[in-house]
Amino acid sequence: MLEFGRFVATRAIMALFTLVLVSLIVFSLMEMVPADCAERYLAFKNTQGSGISVEDIDAERQRLGLDKPFFTRWGVWIVNAFQGEFGDSCILRVSIAQLLGVKFWLSIGLCLSALFLAYAIAIPVGIISAATNNRLLDNSLKFVSYLGLALPNFLLALMIMLFSTVWFGETLTGLFSKEYRDAPWDFAKFVDLLKHAWLPIFILGWSATAFALQTVRALMSDEIGKLYVTAASARGIYGRKLLWRYPARHALGPIVNSLGFDLNRIFSELPIVALILTLTDAGALLIDALARSNDQQLAGAIIFLLTASIVSLNFFTDVLLAVLDPRIRKSILK
Amino acid sequence: MMHNTSQSQSAKEAYFTASQHQLIWARFKKQRTAMIAAIVLIVMIVSGLMAPFLSPYDPTIAGRDKDYTNGAPQMPKFCDTAGCAARPFIHAVERERSIKTNFRWVTKTNEDKRLYLQFFVEGSTYKLFGVLPLDIHLFGVEGGKIHLFGTDEDGQDIFSRTLHAIWTSMKVGSIGVFIAFVLALAIGGVAGYYGGVIDGVLQMITDAVRTVPAIPLFMAVAAFMPPEMTAEARFFYISLILGLIGWPTLARRVRTHLLTERNQEYILAAQLSGATSSHVIRRHLLPSFTSYIIVDLVISFPYMVLSETALSFIGLGLKDPVSSLGVLLQKATSADVMLNYQWYFIPVIFFVVLVMAFVFVGDGLRDAADPYSETAS
Repeated sequence: MLEFGRFVATRAIMALFTLVLVSLIVFSLMEMVPADCAERYLAFKNTQGSGISVEDIDAERQRLGLDKPFFTRWGVWIVNAFQGEFGDSCILRVSIAQLLGVKFWLSIGLCLSALFLAYAIAIPVGIISAATNNRLLDNSLKFVSYLGLALPNFLLALMIMLFSTVWFGETLTGLFSKEYRDAPWDFAKFVDLLKHAWLPIFILGWSATAFALQTVRALMSDEIGKLYVTAASARGIYGRKLLWRYPARHALGPIVNSLGFDLNRIFSELPIVALILTLTDAGALLIDALARSNDQQLAGAIIFLLTASIVSLNFFTDVLLAVLDPRIRKSILK
Repeated sequence: MMHNTSQSQSAKEAYFTASQHQLIWARFKKQRTAMIAAIVLIVMIVSGLMAPFLSPYDPTIAGRDKDYTNGAPQMPKFCDTAGCAARPFIHAVERERSIKTNFRWVTKTNEDKRLYLQFFVEGSTYKLFGVLPLDIHLFGVEGGKIHLFGTDEDGQDIFSRTLHAIWTSMKVGSIGVFIAFVLALAIGGVAGYYGGVIDGVLQMITDAVRTVPAIPLFMAVAAFMPPEMTAEARFFYISLILGLIGWPTLARRVRTHLLTERNQEYILAAQLSGATSSHVIRRHLLPSFTSYIIVDLVISFPYMVLSETALSFIGLGLKDPVSSLGVLLQKATSADVMLNYQWYFIPVIFFVVLVMAFVFVGDGLRDAADPYSETAS
């Protein structure tokens, strides 16, 4: 048990280190944006009619702590970031934590549901296609997986929008109906969310499903020809029981490990899909922050949060795999 | 019987004496889907390269047809109500504003006036391959304009823009892949060849870069572009970003390959004979995985193309007057376009085909380059 604790601790430290490294990358990027927050804010005030001098900008800089050296500011930023505090948005002048809040959790929820959907489809279908001799099924699955790459989520979203507008005269956009948009959370609002969320979840899960299908199939085909499977079937085990208890257990291990990268891919597609479907979650906010207003504080916070959730998922799957897979457990506990 | 054996003997001999490239080519030829994909790919690349010649009009605002904005695709036909002709034609389009149309400009086709398709017509001047000044276009019509895929809201020909967009994507992809490749080779190469602490540190950095979701990161970096940048500078900046963010996957593969390869006997032999590190890398290690690298490059190409499309689509990548799929699709999200002008989406088909062709060729190459694929089957 002590060894297991040590393993978890090592992984946690590694995850933390990755996050610190990522925060350095993100923070340097934020620094590279032309014009800092003070200039931007006062330029905004200038448009409102109040005259601005160089001294005002310097005073504002001092207030925001922008006159301190790079590493001090980075240190402050990262310490705050780990407490979920990202300061104020440059343009909107609202606390970022407040601005993101529910939107961020909604995005994470959407992406995790998409990931879940992807594997709920890919694992059974992938196993069947690896076990079957049916060439038609096999080839059509192959085609679907290629299409998952060639027709990326945002193009799929566009196509679905096109067909739904042409045929149903409806655009299928947004996450909430009008009457619930600003309503406080209750059961009715949740039901309304579910009514709208299936489409973004399907679209976000589309490429992930195609990729997962390919991986499951490949891993399964590798395992299915091995001797222990033949031995098991010689002992009279057959059908579903054989597939699930023998090759599938081995084949699914590496998949648990790659979940983090699948989530990464889904996050990548989130902003653009969100833009097309006009979802007002963190993804669309990111585009707003970057494309329209160059709001580096907000953009940095979103990228950091997305990466942090990937890193935590990676950490979680590492530990999960050690619990699930006796071989890895053995290698830790030796 | 004798004849048969001697034939198979010579076939065997050809097999054993064949060079690596001949073997790969022989295996590649056997895969039907990959061969078809390769032909499609070559056709697309050539049509992209010859885009100025194949497209009837200039893809920028200079080639616009101001009498036919948001115009539907015009398919050449042989017959109409007045009978058939040997040469394909389209009907002329006329604009009218009168009391009948409520004093608004209305475009309508004139069924009585035929415009015949002409080949090798003179049109706007362009430079083929960037050097050859020409003004001959493959086809066009006399006394009017033909728009195979229709026009957009400025009256720009979508067919011409699509062909140019293919070429733009190929260029962005090539530059991006090249930059990613150089970085991957350097970083993955150092990590894999030296191993140990250097490898550990480089792996940490590679993994950290890989954890950041790519497109949000692209967006963040692309947003720093000053808006007054010229189209050309923008183009190179975008390619540079694609390369700078795309290297980690490739670097990892280079590293893994080097780590297994550097413990082989032939490397030890070279080192014992007094070869320097750079000599071992250049003469022994690099040739050992050129084919893998080529396959990886082909496979990572579509990702570059798709990232560029995504970036341009949200307005952070390329912009008018450059034609790229993302640029072409920018205006397509409005309900107006979806309901009335669906031909804005025609370029999507070409891009799905282009990416598919790349994926199939990449897969075919991977199977062909794997020396164990034959013994396994």
